Amino acid sequence: MKTWSELNTLQPIVTKMLTNGIEKERIAHAYLFQGSRGTGKKEASILVAKSFFCPNQTEVEPCHVCRECKRIDSGNHPDLHWVKPDGASIKKEQIAHLQKEFTYTGLESNQKVYIIEHADRMTTNASNQLLKFLEEPSKNTVAILLTENNQSILNTIRSRCQIMSFKPLNPIALQQKLVENGVTEATARLTSYLTNNVSEAIELSHDGWFAKSREIVIKLIEVLHEQKDEAFLFLHNQWLNHFQDREQTQLGLDLLLIWYKDFIYYHIERQEAIIFMNEIDRFEKYTYTLSQKFATKAIKNILEAKSKLMANVNPTLVIEDLVLHLQR
Amino acid sequence: MKFVIQRNQLMESVQDVMKAISSKTTIPILSGMKLEATTDGVKLTGSDSDISIESFIPTEENGIVFVENIEPGSIILQAKYFPEIVRKLPEQTVEIESDEQFNVTIRSGSAEFNLNGQDPQEYPQLPKLHTENSFELPIDLLKDLIRQTVFAVSTSETRPILTGVNMVLRDEKLHFVATDSHRLASRTIPMSDITSEVTFKNIVIPGKSLNELNKILEDSQDKIEISVTENQILFRTKHLYFLSRLLDGNYPETSRLIPEQSKTNVVIDAKELLHSIDRASLLAKESRNNVVKLMTKDGHTIEISSNSPEVGKVLDEVKVDSIEGEELKISFSAKYMMDALKAINTEKVKILFTGAMRPFIIKPGSEEEEILQLILPVRTY
Repeated sequence: MKTWSELNTLQPIVTKMLTNGIEKERIAHAYLFQGSRGTGKKEASILVAKSFFCPNQTEVEPCHVCRECKRIDSGNHPDLHWVKPDGASIKKEQIAHLQKEFTYTGLESNQKVYIIEHADRMTTNASNQLLKFLEEPSKNTVAILLTENNQSILNTIRSRCQIMSFKPLNPIALQQKLVENGVTEATARLTSYLTNNVSEAIELSHDGWFAKSREIVIKLIEVLHEQKDEAFLFLHNQWLNHFQDREQTQLGLDLLLIWYKDFIYYHIERQEAIIFMNEIDRFEKYTYTLSQKFATKAIKNILEAKSKLMANVNPTLVIEDLVLHLQR
Repeated sequence: MKFVIQRNQLMESVQDVMKAISSKTTIPILSGMKLEATTDGVKLTGSDSDISIESFIPTEENGIVFVENIEPGSIILQAKYFPEIVRKLPEQTVEIESDEQFNVTIRSGSAEFNLNGQDPQEYPQLPKLHTENSFELPIDLLKDLIRQTVFAVSTSETRPILTGVNMVLRDEKLHFVATDSHRLASRTIPMSDITSEVTFKNIVIPGKSLNELNKILEDSQDKIEISVTENQILFRTKHLYFLSRLLDGNYPETSRLIPEQSKTNVVIDAKELLHSIDRASLLAKESRNNVVKLMTKDGHTIEISSNSPEVGKVLDEVKVDSIEGEELKISFSAKYMMDALKAINTEKVKILFTGAMRPFIIKPGSEEEEILQLILPVRTY
């Protein structure tokens, strides 16, 4: 996904809106790109930057080979600024640094673009600092905020940006594409739920670590429901060794979440929506011992655990707490 | 690209250029140093995006050959390793060669280094020089201008435009003004020899860049050429180019702040006043705002005092050359006063007060209009 025409096949509405804006020279001072993982937000932001800087574009399509385009690709363009979360969040200092940068004239041109990735992860202080900056845009500046979670962006920030919603890709189309690429159907379902990006999904399906993760999650559920006393032992022997950092733990929790969701789907007889297709036998077996109400509660607990993890709570404690809840 | 160069010359240039390269950069390519060989010589460039320094080594000067066997081209080298390598090479001559894959070979005597370079296309393009839009100043005068104004720039980022020094060319005069909204320092020099073609208006140079420039320039009578482009300013000596980005925005109008009339005029020995204020501030430093009080007494002396209730108080009298006008009691920041007196650097100074609640002006004793320091008093009870 590198050119506008390629993006057009995936995100026709957004592409149309952006290219029209560029063509008519009506680029907004701030955009908010929202959409789930892998929907092409970053690619679109790079394309906007290229269309902004590239001197030899044909209509709106930048050339991708000139000096400006090359430097945007390699991250060396002096008038394009990337802000990424430093650790878990975007800190106030990062925004202050950005602001300082914008009090200077441009290094080469007098146009500047800044792109903030994961804008939802800005701390409150950082958001407020940015707000002031967004309110008074200097001329020839374009801000692009990228987020997967538009609900956690401050209202006051959202109202100052032109919002571009990136549609989630059609999961069935993605699954088919994955199956065409030689991924088994069960894996295709699972990976297409976790990401919207084909190449990322294929990578996941070939990843040994990911396969092991799935196994461990299923095993945990088995232990939770059949040998309750062993749950903590299992947690420390296997889970914690496998899911080591925060990001990995998040993925583990996602898988756990999918399982309970599937269970509910099974209960309400929506078999076609089930993602863990190979687990149907187990769902059958548990229908009598595990109530729908409990599963709903489990989902709530998992979501809570996920947000705790985001809020920097120790991952081991989060998981232990969750297991205690699920064990009951 | 290929050339053979004298190690000493290269070392000197590398050291100059390194001053602009910082280890913390937002753009990865700026951690490198650019080497560019042309038939005229070799140019080194370093930048941290705020300031950029270019150093030029000509092929020969006064009959001494510095660079030979030039094949034009350019390359980016890692600034982390290159200076150390040059410093520790065994021989006086160094051969540097690069190929299309950006592999660099540095040879000197028995030693040979192979470094991975980067694509010079990735490096920021510095603006081309507009030599017609430039003027010249002696280096020591420029250093004076910087020294006498830059200390007054604001250190807080709340009003970013005040962190710079305002440079204006108006009525054949060059004005430098800096203020942090509590004090103001300005210096004006006549520019009669300037051609009317030079046009730029009201630019603001970041104080940090000027401090850096002041450190790099050595005191000398040589001329430095200054040119202003759309978004950068260039200071150019014989072989060294210093570029700085400018601050974006409009500098506040400062000329109206300077009072035209005065009610009390004091002429005083600058050194004695400085020492006296320094003494008084010893105790004032403890309390938060470092305030001293000045009081005129009978026509020959002024009294400098400071009172911090929890520490104690100081009283000091200084003889003055003359006092004209009304009696006066005024309080002000000792630090600002000392900075101003140090900047003026003449034997006598003239202080013009317009009442206890109005800003006052400090000027050199002799009737030169060129330096002016303005300080806002502090309200005390």
